[in-house]
Amino acid sequence: MRHVRGFDVVRPLSIGMLVFMMLPLVFLPLLSIFIFGTSNGLDKFWAALTAPEAVFALKLSMATSFWATVFNVLFGLFASYVLSRYNFWGRNALIVTISLPTAIPTAVAGFALLLLWGPYGTLGRFLAPQGIQIMFTAAAIILANIFVTFPLAFGVIKPVFDTMSRSLEEASATIGATRWQTFWHVTLPSLRGAIVSGALLTFARAVGEFGSTILVSGNLAGRTQTAPLYIFAKFNEGQIEAANAIAIVLALFSFLIFSVLFFARDWLDVD
Amino acid sequence: MSTEAYPLKAKEKLIEEQNAKPPVATSPQKATSVIGVSKRFGKTSVLEDITFDVAEGEALVLLGASGSGKTTILRIIAGLDQPYTGKVVLHGRDVTELPARERGVGVIFQSYALFPKMTVEKNIGYGLRIRKRKRKEIRQTVNDLLQLVQLEDHRKKYPSQLSGGQQQRVAIARTLAYNPEVLLFDEPFGALDTQTRVHLRREIRALLRKVNVPAIFITHDQEEALELGDRVAVINKGHIEQIGTPFEIYNTPATEYVATFLGAANLLDAVVRKSFLEVGNAHLPANLDQEKFKDGDCVKIVFRPEDVALSKTDFVRPDHHRIGTALVEEISFVGAYERVRVRLPKAGAEECALDDTSFYLTTETPDRQPAKSIIATRPKPEASTTRLSIGDRVVVAITSFTVLPLSEKKQV
Repeated sequence: MRHVRGFDVVRPLSIGMLVFMMLPLVFLPLLSIFIFGTSNGLDKFWAALTAPEAVFALKLSMATSFWATVFNVLFGLFASYVLSRYNFWGRNALIVTISLPTAIPTAVAGFALLLLWGPYGTLGRFLAPQGIQIMFTAAAIILANIFVTFPLAFGVIKPVFDTMSRSLEEASATIGATRWQTFWHVTLPSLRGAIVSGALLTFARAVGEFGSTILVSGNLAGRTQTAPLYIFAKFNEGQIEAANAIAIVLALFSFLIFSVLFFARDWLDVD
Repeated sequence: MSTEAYPLKAKEKLIEEQNAKPPVATSPQKATSVIGVSKRFGKTSVLEDITFDVAEGEALVLLGASGSGKTTILRIIAGLDQPYTGKVVLHGRDVTELPARERGVGVIFQSYALFPKMTVEKNIGYGLRIRKRKRKEIRQTVNDLLQLVQLEDHRKKYPSQLSGGQQQRVAIARTLAYNPEVLLFDEPFGALDTQTRVHLRREIRALLRKVNVPAIFITHDQEEALELGDRVAVINKGHIEQIGTPFEIYNTPATEYVATFLGAANLLDAVVRKSFLEVGNAHLPANLDQEKFKDGDCVKIVFRPEDVALSKTDFVRPDHHRIGTALVEEISFVGAYERVRVRLPKAGAEECALDDTSFYLTTETPDRQPAKSIIATRPKPEASTTRLSIGDRVVVAITSFTVLPLSEKKQV
């Protein structure tokens, strides 16, 4: 391509091509949720959204994702601290293991949990006689969410730990701070951005989780049915409007989270 | 908190120790003492029997090349590293077993290590907040310190918004807030350009006089060491070569290393005779310690380039000592003075000749003759009255010199 009188032809062409390629792949599918969902009028949409089972599914998704996020952020912090501060035999093996769940198909993750905690599972068979049932409850959904989102917070927090200057903590110690004070006043503030973005990533991923959830939850409407499972179930029953209403909420929700991640980057990193 | 268990234990231990034996006998004016400290990393010894004191209000500079172990000494005093043997005493209190946070020393790190998410005033007040002081007291101290380091206008700024010099002042104020036992500066001017460095050096010197806190500096820059220190300790391969005032270190170096590390130095082999020193064919008067130097001993004499007098005539001032005749080999103009390199043929004293290199003294004479390079500097007025050119034959005399025993190879 050539410049025609100072006008770069490549620029508008390549931008146009990019948008055109994304149309059938991303934009149109997303758009059709909104077109279809609101085509019967907003009152129908609202009715579908406020159906008791739908509200329950959304609430359950939020609650289970919340607890999985809390656990994984705390765990990610702890794991990052240990794995970047101490050098020991088997350290790299641990790092790889923590990161592994990213590469495991979610259905396999759910199946693995069933084989461990299920009524005939490795551990579950000892718990079942005691009346302890973990699978097919909200706890199972949380466990599945934790497993699937395990490396996300760790992956964001660890690099910040690695690059953090050791002398900041040493300075804090010579000034007179205990380890805990140093962690609270010096280390943690530097990690704030990483913690927030790690939490948002984990939460977004957990809310959308389907493959492992459908195996471990039992998919009982009004009891263990999360929002993605609700969409799947309603679609199978032919209630497209009901599925669509929840789909819109989930799409908007992830759009919101990624906007925060993208536009608040400066706030998250600096100060 | 499990971390709370440690200080209690350490305190108990300290009390026990103090009950068991009388406190370490150090006079009260000694602010910091390092006694017989050694350090190993695995099998490599990095420090060997380091012993020195810093008096109240004194500034001591640890001068050494990188890898000499000077940073390790600083970290041991601060409690960031543990010594293998020996102890650290701060104002009469043995702190060797105490963790860094109970020692009350102020460390100014090379990168300043200011807390990036805290403003200038939060940084300065950190030590007091940690100590749970009253808010009013913290505000008062922070205000006083901001005034002392002249950063009142920057109190709400973050470290990243400050210049290197300002950051350093915040780092100093942050340690002064809790009345440190001693201030430790780790290569404080390493990250700055030459001009700022010279300026800050004077500023810090003035500040230290004002607050009267003893200080230990670490540097590899000899000029910095001479200017900053009340005393200078030259560290080489984990041991102290010499400790003394800048004047002593520069003018009467105790070892060859000290002589050559601090500025340019000329070294000549010499033999000790009953009442004089034999340097080549020349005899230098010397009052030598009979205990240390015996008749026939091989020694080296050290003299600075500015101690060398060159003359084209045979006349040597009576207070100068004639060494011999040399050839001018190189003349360079270095701003404030002229530097002349001459080649002095070696003669006599073969028994002590050690590190000679053979040179062709002139291009006309093909015989190789062992010769020694000597550097002389001449101030401008002298350089312009008696001009020298390459190939000139000059008489070399020295105004003063120091005698060094042959350095024994120290095992580290």
